[in-house]
Amino acid sequence: MMYSKLAFRNIRRSLRDYIIYFVTLTLTAALMYSFLALGFSPDILAMTENMSMLTSGILMLSVLVALLSSFVVGYAIRFMLGQRKKEFAAYELMGMEVKTVRNLFLVENSIIGGAAFLLGSLLGTAMSGLLNQVVQNIFEIPHRYQVLFSLRALGMTLFFFILMYGFGMLRAAKVIRRRKVIDLLYDNQKNEEAGFQPLHRSVLTCLLSLAAMVAGVILLEKGLHIQTNEAMLYWGGACLLILAGVYELHRKIPMLLYQLAKRNPHRKYREETLFFLGQIGRRIQSSGRTMAVVAILLTVSLATMFVGMTMGAGYKANMEAYYPYDAGVAIDAPLTKDSMDSVRSFVEERCEVEDSVTYYLYAVPNETIEALSLSDYNHLREILGLSPVSMNNNEFLVHCDTWNYMDGIRQGLEQKPEITLNGWTLTPAETPILTEPMEQYQMAGTKGYVLVLPDEVASRLSGEKIRLVMKLEDSGYPELKNELKQFLNSGKWQPDIQPGQELPERVTMGVTVKAWGVANSLTGFTTLSFCGLYLSIIFIILSCSVLAFEQLSAIDRNRKNYAVIDRLGVSGRRQASLVRRELSTVFLIPLFFPIVLTVLLIVGTQFFFGEAILQEGLVLFYGLVTILLFCAIYLTYFGATMSLFKRVILRPEMH
Amino acid sequence: MKEVLKLEHIQKYYGNGGNVTKAIQDISFSVEEGEFVGIMGASGSGKTTLLNCISTIDTVSAGHIYLDGTDVTEINEKQIARFRRENLGFVFQDFNLLDTLTISENIALALTINKVPAGEIDGRVREITRKLNITDILDKYPYQVSGGQKQRCACARAIINNPKLILADEPTGALDSHSSQMLLSTIQGINETLGATILMVTHDAFSASYANRILFLRDGAIFTEIRKGSDSRRTFFNKILDVLTMMGGGSE
Repeated sequence: MMYSKLAFRNIRRSLRDYIIYFVTLTLTAALMYSFLALGFSPDILAMTENMSMLTSGILMLSVLVALLSSFVVGYAIRFMLGQRKKEFAAYELMGMEVKTVRNLFLVENSIIGGAAFLLGSLLGTAMSGLLNQVVQNIFEIPHRYQVLFSLRALGMTLFFFILMYGFGMLRAAKVIRRRKVIDLLYDNQKNEEAGFQPLHRSVLTCLLSLAAMVAGVILLEKGLHIQTNEAMLYWGGACLLILAGVYELHRKIPMLLYQLAKRNPHRKYREETLFFLGQIGRRIQSSGRTMAVVAILLTVSLATMFVGMTMGAGYKANMEAYYPYDAGVAIDAPLTKDSMDSVRSFVEERCEVEDSVTYYLYAVPNETIEALSLSDYNHLREILGLSPVSMNNNEFLVHCDTWNYMDGIRQGLEQKPEITLNGWTLTPAETPILTEPMEQYQMAGTKGYVLVLPDEVASRLSGEKIRLVMKLEDSGYPELKNELKQFLNSGKWQPDIQPGQELPERVTMGVTVKAWGVANSLTGFTTLSFCGLYLSIIFIILSCSVLAFEQLSAIDRNRKNYAVIDRLGVSGRRQASLVRRELSTVFLIPLFFPIVLTVLLIVGTQFFFGEAILQEGLVLFYGLVTILLFCAIYLTYFGATMSLFKRVILRPEMH
Repeated sequence: MKEVLKLEHIQKYYGNGGNVTKAIQDISFSVEEGEFVGIMGASGSGKTTLLNCISTIDTVSAGHIYLDGTDVTEINEKQIARFRRENLGFVFQDFNLLDTLTISENIALALTINKVPAGEIDGRVREITRKLNITDILDKYPYQVSGGQKQRCACARAIINNPKLILADEPTGALDSHSSQMLLSTIQGINETLGATILMVTHDAFSASYANRILFLRDGAIFTEIRKGSDSRRTFFNKILDVLTMMGGGSE
């Protein structure tokens, strides 16, 4: 009873040390709950058949978040133990058993954890209502603010919270058990290790790190042009090189700048710069690794947030290109055109077919490219609301709506402007390449591009793949996709093979329905954006907490150092300015490359994908949203740390 | 001789209402330029409070302190920093060196804060460290040198700006006897060869015997004062012990 009272009093007394820890735990719990509640919401899950993707994504990320958070909790506990070691030593000197001291600390932390969980869950419940509205807004469903309470989400949040907190607690218990009274009493008298590596080695490491980052960017660019799984290897390698570069640069550049500044007497001896350099030098030495890891975390967070939101929004914006036709059936077999009539009739029984076209993708001898006849091509254009094209009987054109094949096609046309097919020699039409979105991986070609030939030439080629495209009243409905699939596989549909042709060993069959696609694209958008947002916000919060604890853990030593310069005659105003400078530098060091890389990522995405994303300015908009959201969280933590730091370090009249 | 420091009826109270502690009752004395004055007294006699009031770290409840004619008690918060860096030098028991800077940088810090041109700094640091015999540890960090060396570094930092008054608070408190003796010789040397005015608070009779004059405090007031005059240090040391005995056995 007495101990619990003591624990409560200790919390009240150490409120200052606990505040950032408490805020971090509360925010983590709030984010976990709100996203899990969204993932488990029956209303959200009922929106589309693929919506469980969001639940799985959030659950998987929550495991990662719990693991990462447990490290930060451990870090925070180390800070708290450091702040209160003398108090614990006093308890032990008075005869309190180590076990009791440990239990006292655990009770205190359990109270803090419990309070953070409760407050976080409450906050999360309120936030989940907002997230729910955002999702409903994405799906263009009429919405109003409605709190999402989910027992399952609460249970899962509690589970993950206990996982992350329990791990940290166990670590704390171990530390308390192993520390001796003498360490607790005299720990702050231990000396710091000195030692910067020679300047030339720092320069060399910086250059190598830069080279690694440049190599990473080159690999990334190369990966973008590869259409096979090999691209993953390039991207993985690129990420590793870039992150290794970011880590080493963050370790070495501050050291390098510090060493260079100290070499220049005019800079070093300018007013209080010497003191500032000493403060920063110690930080670089003792927390260099932490700051470099934070830099990596921030790089990953910013990239995840930006890529998640941009990909999601880009996906939504490009839906028209992915699903240009209301309904379509693609069968990679040489069937007769009549075979598709019953398919059309099946659809017609369910909704009115305003227009349709059955056509072949012709095989071009000795080439991988497929061909469309001009009349079929123009019919497709008509269905899409595009104006028809015309060309002479001895001409051809290429339709390619995929930007990254364009250069190759242009080069090919320049090198081999004439083609000969079955005795016909064709030259490129006046406009040899057309680029409107036509969906060229299933319907209007399967390679991302297609050759358009005069009807007479095309009719002499072998029509090995058949397609049916339909324009439906009100664009059809999502369930049509499954109904069509069932019909095609049910055995009721009896297709005929063209005379003289054989069925391939394996027949690929595809059904596309715009209404289904749109709904599920929105699911993709929601999943990508929300998972990206969830992970990155948590990463940023955790990184900021680490930075804040890193700074606050040195508070006693800093207080002593500032007291020395106070006695040496540095004014309160100058001391306040030095505190600001020191803290800004500590918070800015891990920020430099993440921001530079994010800006490069935004510019690069705009450059490479800007044209491919159909909504203008989308990349830049989400780039700006990413940076603003990040700044809001970062500056909040920076402000809180600064305020605590100043309050402890400076005399009240200097604040 | 010019009067560097003058205290007039200094009083310092802590607390309020019925719970007032009188740390300093009514102290008046003066220190002349080039003097080396020791302040002795038992724990709680008010010697550190007195030093804190003179050094502007603490404020007085009543009375005036004049340093080279300036009334320290009238200086406002904005002027205090400038006053300290131009007039005072400090040597503390726990050295108060910055672990983040090397020995030479710790000394240079006092100059940079006083806005001495960058080009002069290294020369002045070399000159003072030569006088105090610590040139071989200039590039070391405080935690890499002995307590005595740290304290000599603190002395160098205290005198490098040629302050009007050097305040030393138990400077030998954290040192072994050999290092204490060396440091006291150094402080005496600073007083005699550089003409620095020193006010040293100590509870140790041996340390105090290096001063020219000792003020004994008891219950926040001056109990008595003795001067070395032409006595040897040993004789002066015995006189100090006699006073301490008279005051009630030892200073701590």
